[in-house]
Parts: sequence; structure tokens; C-alpha cells
Amino acid sequence: MGGKSVAEPVSPGGAKTERVNIEADVLIIGGGTAGCLAAWEARRSGGEGLKIAIMEKAFIRNSGCLSAGMNALNMYINQGGPEDFVSYVRYDLCGAPVREDILLSVAEEVNETVALMEKAGLPIKKKEDGRYLNRGKWNIEVNGSLLKPITASMAIEAGVEIYNRVYMTDLIIENGQCEGAVGFGVRDGKFYVCRSKTTLICAGGAAGLWRPNSNGDAHHRIWYFPFNTGGSYAMCKRAGAEMTSFEMRIVPIRTKDTYSPTGTLAIGMNAPMVNSLGQAFMREDPYYVERGGHTAPTLIRVLAFERETQAFRGPVVMDTTQGDPYKVAGLKSQYLDMSPCIVLYWGCNDIDPSKEPVEVDASDPAIVGAHAGMAGAWTRGVSRETTIPRLYVSGDALGGAPSRFISGSWACGRIAARAMVKALQVNSYELAEISGDKIDRLEERTFGPLRSYGEKQTEGLWTDGALMNGISPKQMEDRMQKIMEEYCGGRRNWFYVNETYLGIARKHIGRLRRTQLKYLCAKDLHDLQLAWDVINRLDVCQLVIEHLDYRKETRFPGYVNRNDYPDLDPEFDCFVNSVWDPGTDEVTCFKAPYEQLVPGDRTRESI
Amino acid sequence: MPPKVDPLKCDACQGESEPLCEQVCPGNLMTLDLGEPRKAYCRDAGDCWDCMSCTKACPRQAIQTTIQYQLAYFPGKLIPLVGTNSVTWTSIDCNGMVERFVIRTIIGSEDDDEE
Repeated sequence: MGGKSVAEPVSPGGAKTERVNIEADVLIIGGGTAGCLAAWEARRSGGEGLKIAIMEKAFIRNSGCLSAGMNALNMYINQGGPEDFVSYVRYDLCGAPVREDILLSVAEEVNETVALMEKAGLPIKKKEDGRYLNRGKWNIEVNGSLLKPITASMAIEAGVEIYNRVYMTDLIIENGQCEGAVGFGVRDGKFYVCRSKTTLICAGGAAGLWRPNSNGDAHHRIWYFPFNTGGSYAMCKRAGAEMTSFEMRIVPIRTKDTYSPTGTLAIGMNAPMVNSLGQAFMREDPYYVERGGHTAPTLIRVLAFERETQAFRGPVVMDTTQGDPYKVAGLKSQYLDMSPCIVLYWGCNDIDPSKEPVEVDASDPAIVGAHAGMAGAWTRGVSRETTIPRLYVSGDALGGAPSRFISGSWACGRIAARAMVKALQVNSYELAEISGDKIDRLEERTFGPLRSYGEKQTEGLWTDGALMNGISPKQMEDRMQKIMEEYCGGRRNWFYVNETYLGIARKHIGRLRRTQLKYLCAKDLHDLQLAWDVINRLDVCQLVIEHLDYRKETRFPGYVNRNDYPDLDPEFDCFVNSVWDPGTDEVTCFKAPYEQLVPGDRTRESI
Repeated sequence: MPPKVDPLKCDACQGESEPLCEQVCPGNLMTLDLGEPRKAYCRDAGDCWDCMSCTKACPRQAIQTTIQYQLAYFPGKLIPLVGTNSVTWTSIDCNGMVERFVIRTIIGSEDDDEE
């Protein structure tokens, strides 16, 4: 039971760093929403003999998107069936081509999975009749301040080997197959070499590609979890996996300054968006009414916020003052379960949301796969296996299947684990023997920025202690965010892109990737983590730029506005997929067909 | 909402291999300074996501969550007190008004907190 761990003092290859060798049948990279349930399901379906290891960058009980808690589960089949959920997801993204096969598979076991989590201790609010308290059609309310510890308890109880504070940097690919992964200990500085028969990547999406709205000590006061820095996508991409939908980023319209979720206000309280003229524009302006009104698709509501503000009819607020007073009174409690900082923010700005509406704003775009965005690795059928054999993805790393959220990611982790266990039973995978040279090269790459610091330090320091001949991870992050903000459809350009802008973004991000990474230096292990964050983010930036440029139409208004191709083009009613070539550093994009499994008009909800 | 640590309360979690705030921080931000005796601090306030894991985890309630001054006025506090099955939040706004919220956190079979 558990992964085997052997510490070696010094490798025979003459490398400088202590190594930890781990062997696993199921290697899980990322101990989050999907990863913990994948571990649980792998144990349940694979039995006690299965060697399962989780590699977690932080501490499994408090890491990731759930670290601040969450007050609702946004995927639950309250009425209708899985087909109706798929119909809703399509509708909510303006009829977007989605992987209906994947969404159906998740919808079929999401309710059962939620029941499992309630049994694990998650308090789910109930109606008088004992049924779960719904919030809108597809959501239920929870007291989720301990959502992450409860999720982690599933993995812990499954008796899997958990390695906290290990940052995985690259997959081990041999003969086109995934043979494991390597990384470094954020605290112990050791080199972790994990050989595995199957590997699951579920290390979250990517925040921090674009410049945040606040700076200084509020640099990370953003909507998406800032320590998800694109490692999932970057590792898959660098391994040669086919990637999908990186043009389908998310632009979150959230509470201004704190960027706390707004579902609590919009769905929970039915609070309308109102402009400075007092117009509840989604209900009153014919342009929005004909596109769905108050319950219009997410993309249309995002676009509406942008249009109203661009036309100088801002600020836009969500009117909480007309709602049910009982619900307004409960607002602070609900936010304390999910985004406590907004309660402090209101308290320190004299804001009482029952008397004053809540202002909203656009946070910086994020790349996600499980929220209302659909970037990620492309997978074969419903197996969750990528185009790299023995490499699986789940959670935000899985592409083409949006709106799974937390509850769907739990279910999705289970599905991936069952597919891995089945593959282990059907095939006779063996742990590969990896050559010493290859491991040495991976180690050199993993610790590269740290070793560069050591070398550059001898070349001289300025009086403030900065390297004369090196660049810090923070400096490179600032440069990357400036380029993305100004040339890749940041908030300052109201999320507009065109070929000229994208050409400039391509040039500069390419330059950073090809000529500047050799100057990237990390002074300690925390800095090494930051260095890998920016390396991974730059990989994702490249995917985003190439995908945006390839989709020469406007299919996701609000998220991506194009002034050179402002209309829908039926030729692009498909996925945009890509593969990266390590020899040329080029990303080649191509179309992948969309398959409609649930019949009906894709721009309408079935119920 | 960068976490600030009260030097009079922080004892660096003596006896633990690392302080609890350092153990739980999802961003690897809480760490010990080099003073004598050592105290915990947040190594980069701008990198904090304000999840409050450290504030909730601190056994001596030495960590206070503060709001960035660029976003809101001084003073004001939000203090979580973590119980077995619930968390009690005390909000003191910048005018001194106090509100208290008791919120369930986990379904437990025994040792229910008194609410």
C-alpha cells in the first residue's frame, strides 16, 4: 500500500542534489478537488494492493482553489437529467461546441458523488422537506469553509502516499508514453523522481497571465486562485500532448476590489446589474433582452458589463437593496464561507449591502477548464487519457468540458481514476528504466534557475543585493503580465484582440521564452517555485496567443472580443486544438470536430 | 488581506517541526524570520490570496487578517475562532460596530460546539 519512497544521499551520476525515488501504479499530480477524489476512487476500484501517490505543491488539507472555502456547489442535477445539464452548459456559453460525451459522464455521477461528500462531513443546507437547498437550477448551497480539509480526508482515508510541498516540473516521456514525473521539494530541496505506470495531472488552471487590477500588497486580490500557475497545461504541452480551447479564457465579472464570487448575489438573491442611469439593463435594454435578459448566457452578461462601462454608463452595480431582507441578512455569513475578505472590505468601507448596491468589475482573465472556461488537454473519449498514452487529466486540466465546477471535478477525478485502474488491469504496464543521463538532464532543468543564481552571484551584485547578470522571477512575471495585458486582450483594452496586437504579443512572449529564460535566477527554494510559476505561465501564454489568433471569428463575446473578426463564422463551429513542437518552439493549431450528442437548439436550455 | 503576526503572541509553534501557518499556507508565504526568538511572518504580502488558512490555523491567535489600505479604511478587524464543528467570526467594522457569526463547518457525531 502506498507509493514506495527511497531516499538516496547522492546520485551516482555525480549530480549535486539528494534524490527521492518514488514508484507508483497511479501517480497523481495535484492534491486538489479532482486529485483527492481520484485517489479515493483508485483505492476503491483498484484495491489495497495498488500503489497510489499524490504529489502536492502545498499542504493537501489547505491547498488550491478551495483553500478559502466555497458556499455552493455549482453543478448538481436538481431537476431533469444529464442531458438537460449539457443543454444548459451549451446555452450558458452561447451554444459553444463542448465535449458533450465528457459532460454527460460527469453529470451521471455528480449527485452520487455529492452524497459521498456529505457523508464525509460536508454540511449541505436543506429545505424543510429534507432535500438539498438549491440555488437556481443547477446549484446547491453548502457550508463549505472546510471544503478542502473534507476533500483531502477522502485521500487520507484511502491510505495513499501523500507528498506535501513537492513542486512537479516535468513529465518523464519515453517512446511517446508517460513514464512518470520529476519535481523538487519546496522545503527539502530534494529532487523527486517518480516512476509510474499511469499518471494523472490535475494541478489546476492558470491565474496571473494578465496584470491584476490592484498592485502592491493587493497584487493577488484576484478572482482565480493565484497559485494555480498553469503547471497542468505546461507539463502536458511540453510532453507533446494535444491541447484544446486555449482561446476560451474566462473573464470574471465579480465584486469590485475583492473579486469575490457573484453567484451568491446573482443567483442567490436575483440581484440585477444596474448602470449609473439606474437601468437594470439586462431586463430593460432590447439588445440584452433578445439575448436572454437577466438569465442570459454568462458570456452575454460579461459582454453587457463591458458595453455599459465602455459607453460610460458605469459604475455597474448588483442591486442587493431590493431583495428578500432575510437573504440580505444572510449575505455576510455566506461570504464568510467562501471569501471572508469581502466582509472585512464592507466593514471598512461603510458598506451595508442591504442599503447600498454592490459594485462589480472585471477581474483579470484566467485560463480554466472546469469553471466557465474550457482550456485543457484533449482526451480520448471519456477515458480522460490524453493523446500521450498513460497520461490522464482531470479537474481544470481537462479541456473541452466547461462548467463542471467543484462537484463535477470531484466526479471527474473518480472517472479518471477508474479509467486508470481499468487500463492497469487490461494492460501489463511496467515501470520504465530511465537512463541516468536523462534523469540528470531533468534535474539540471528542474534546478536550473537556482543553479544559475549561484553562478551569476559570482559575477556581481548591485548594492541593493540584486544580480548584475540575472533576472528575478518577479521581474519576469511583471514583464509577461505587461505584454499580455497590453497586447493580448487585457482589461485595459476591454478584452479586445486583433491580429496586429496578437502579433506583438507573440513576438514578445516568444522572445521571453527563447532568449530570456537563461537569465532567470532563483535565490532560494521559494524563488525556484516562483521561477517555475513563470516558466509554466509563459508556456500557457504561448498557447493562448496562438489559439486566439487561429480562431478568426467572435464566438465567445465578453471573453474574447475581436475587432478584426467581429462575427460568428460557421467554419469555426468546432474545437481549436494544438500541438507544440519542441524542435521549433512552434504551436500548430488545427480544428477538431464538435459532436452534438444531446439533440436540440444549442442556444436554448431544455428546461 | 495580508496576514500580520503579533510578536507578543507568536511562539513559532514551539515543538512543531514547522509553525502551523507555514505548514498550511497554499502559497508557501508564511515563514520564520531570523530574529531571536524567531517569529512567523508573511514573506510577500502582495502574493497572499487572503484565504485565511494561516489565521484559522494559528493555535495562539497571533495572526490577524488585515485589509490592504489601498482597498479600505482603517481600522477594522475580522477574527475567526475555530471550534470543533463551527467557526465563530467576529467582525469589527471601521466604526467599531461588532457583529458575530457562528457558522457550521463539518457534520460531526460528537463534541458539538455550543451555539
